[in-house]
Amino acid sequence: METIISIKNLTKEFPVGDGAFVALKNINLDFKKGEFAGLVGPSGSGKTTLLNIIGSLDVPTNGTAEIMGKDIAGLSHKEAAQLRNKYVGFIFQEFHLLPVYTVYENVEFALLLQDIPKDERHKAVMEALEWVGLTHKKDAKPSKLSGGESQRVAIARAIVKRPAILLADEPSANLDSANAHNIMQVMVKLNEELDTTFIFSTHDEKVMQYLKRIVHLRDGGLEKDEWIKEATV
Amino acid sequence: MIKFLIKGVIRDSTRSKFPIAIVAIGVFFTIFLSAFIGGVLQDAVEVNARFTTGHVKVSTLAFAENSTQAPLDLALLGMDSIKSGLQNEYPKMMWVPRVSFGGLLDVPDENGETKGQGPCTGMAADLLNTENGELERMNINKTIVEGRAPEKRGEALVSEKFAQKMKLKPGDVVTYFGSTMYGSMCFQNFTICGTISFGQQMLDKGGLIIDISDAQQMLDMEDGSTELLGYFEGGQYLDDEAMKIAQEFNARSTDSTDEFSSVMIPLKKQNQLEGLLNTSESMSEIMVGIFVLAMSIVLWNVGLLGGLRRYKEFGVRLALGEAKGKIYRSLLVEATVIGVVGSVFGVILGLAAAIPLQIYGMDVSEMVPSSNMMMPSVYRAAVTPSTVFMGFIPGIIAMVLGQALAGYGIYKRDTARLFKELEV
Ligand SMILES: Nc1ncnc2c1ncn2[C@@H]1O[C@H](COP(=O)(O)OP(=O)(O)O)[C@@H](O)[C@H]1O
Ligand SMILES: [Mg+2]
Repeated sequence: METIISIKNLTKEFPVGDGAFVALKNINLDFKKGEFAGLVGPSGSGKTTLLNIIGSLDVPTNGTAEIMGKDIAGLSHKEAAQLRNKYVGFIFQEFHLLPVYTVYENVEFALLLQDIPKDERHKAVMEALEWVGLTHKKDAKPSKLSGGESQRVAIARAIVKRPAILLADEPSANLDSANAHNIMQVMVKLNEELDTTFIFSTHDEKVMQYLKRIVHLRDGGLEKDEWIKEATV
Repeated sequence: MIKFLIKGVIRDSTRSKFPIAIVAIGVFFTIFLSAFIGGVLQDAVEVNARFTTGHVKVSTLAFAENSTQAPLDLALLGMDSIKSGLQNEYPKMMWVPRVSFGGLLDVPDENGETKGQGPCTGMAADLLNTENGELERMNINKTIVEGRAPEKRGEALVSEKFAQKMKLKPGDVVTYFGSTMYGSMCFQNFTICGTISFGQQMLDKGGLIIDISDAQQMLDMEDGSTELLGYFEGGQYLDDEAMKIAQEFNARSTDSTDEFSSVMIPLKKQNQLEGLLNTSESMSEIMVGIFVLAMSIVLWNVGLLGGLRRYKEFGVRLALGEAKGKIYRSLLVEATVIGVVGSVFGVILGLAAAIPLQIYGMDVSEMVPSSNMMMPSVYRAAVTPSTVFMGFIPGIIAMVLGQALAGYGIYKRDTARLFKELEV
């Protein structure tokens, strides 16, 4: 399988006062197309920082991060935005749907940044809503949705442009157990059907059950890279 | 994408209603005040033109220098030949003589004894000749309170205020006392043909309006007048023209060593009207400037608050792959839409207020203290296409400028920093 994310000797420091806080140290990691992996570790271990770098929202202090063959440290703002737009989908802990737009429009928004004709957009949006089982809510406003439904809309929004990589930062943190399982099942299905690479950040057991690879982080360092033969569910 | 943004603006009332209201209010005031002040100043200039300054005025050099005293002894003689000369040279202009004079007006009883007396401000114009438009120019028929305009020699209009004070009515006789241009005593009886109220403090106090031929005879100034006024066809003051004509005339006629040589002065150079004219012209610009500044500051703050509320949205858009420069530009697009919508409302409101004021006017004769400056007593707005056009400028500039300032932080910051600060 083709490697689409390649991280070498990556260190990330944040300036704090006069010195620097090391959030990630000397990370070496590769992800291949179609992986269903998770960054797991306690709060503050550097999971979000690493996801942001993979998503080209941030750059490493030292070392390299190559995403889809591009060294993100060398990208301009615009090029980084294009990379995200084309290849990366994000899912957040707090859903972050845009409240003034309907479910349909929230999903469509991801496509408006690309020049896709309207009827093609429509087809893609409806298909994405079908995947997450929310076509009947397409005209609803986010305020009318439950937490589980909101996160499913967020998944549809992330998947609608068929990104190669989907980054999900603690996607289950605001969901009850049933909904957590539900969205994980949706994502497993998408991973199998679309061959999308999923990278989670989590410390939730319910999420970990589904992962095929668990990358353990502790205090910014890579503690263990664990491959699971059979997902436990 | 733009459609998408506009949808957001429309649905999010805190993003649209408040800024639209601010823009509309600012544009309303810009339009209304510039139309109003511009209108009043324009009227002031026009009133002066009609009654005292003409579009250009010919007098003797000495009279021009002492024009506030209206010195009769410095009147322009040989007026007819000057007038016909000007008429030949500038056939499109109307040249009319005027005599302004002062004196006493005496009201006799049946026995010829003085019943009452008061100072009067006299003005003589060519009223019996209807072709020169003097009756219309001074708006005489419309401002007559009782009676009619003079139709033959020996008739006079007196101001309504004076008539009331002296209990005069048309048909009564008054005697004018004064001195001729050579300084000897003169008096003359006039039959009152009507009373008049111009709405001009200066003319309404003790005004006596008579025909120029009566004045010339009474004041011993055959073929003379204190002033010869020139008016452009169409009644509009044309500054460049007036300056040019005056220059040509003065080059020929003015002799600085002869105080009785004639001089032509354009309207702008009289009665401090230059300031008034300039102010009138720059009124819109001044208003636009003030409101752009004031509104920008308000909208800047509105934009900052709105930006705070939308941090989450910006974060999501960054994550979805929108470059921060594009987000910033989309804010400006939104601002332009809001600016246009607010301006349309503001223009409509401004016109709704200014047009009635242009048509009906606001009578302020009771409010304005008497002054020597000729000011209109009915204030009117003047709505011009440029007023409307000007109205759009502050609304749109202020909104875009305010938003540009408010969104600048987004543009300046690092994507990673921004993304974190947006708390995604
Ligand atoms: N912009 C920043 N400036 C300073 N410290 C930061 C910044 N972002 C993250 N950190 C720190 O880096 C560490 C790792 O953060 P994070 O990646 O968010 O952890 P996790 O997602 O695993 O909880 C934390 O201690 C956090 O305080
Ligand atoms: Mg985190």
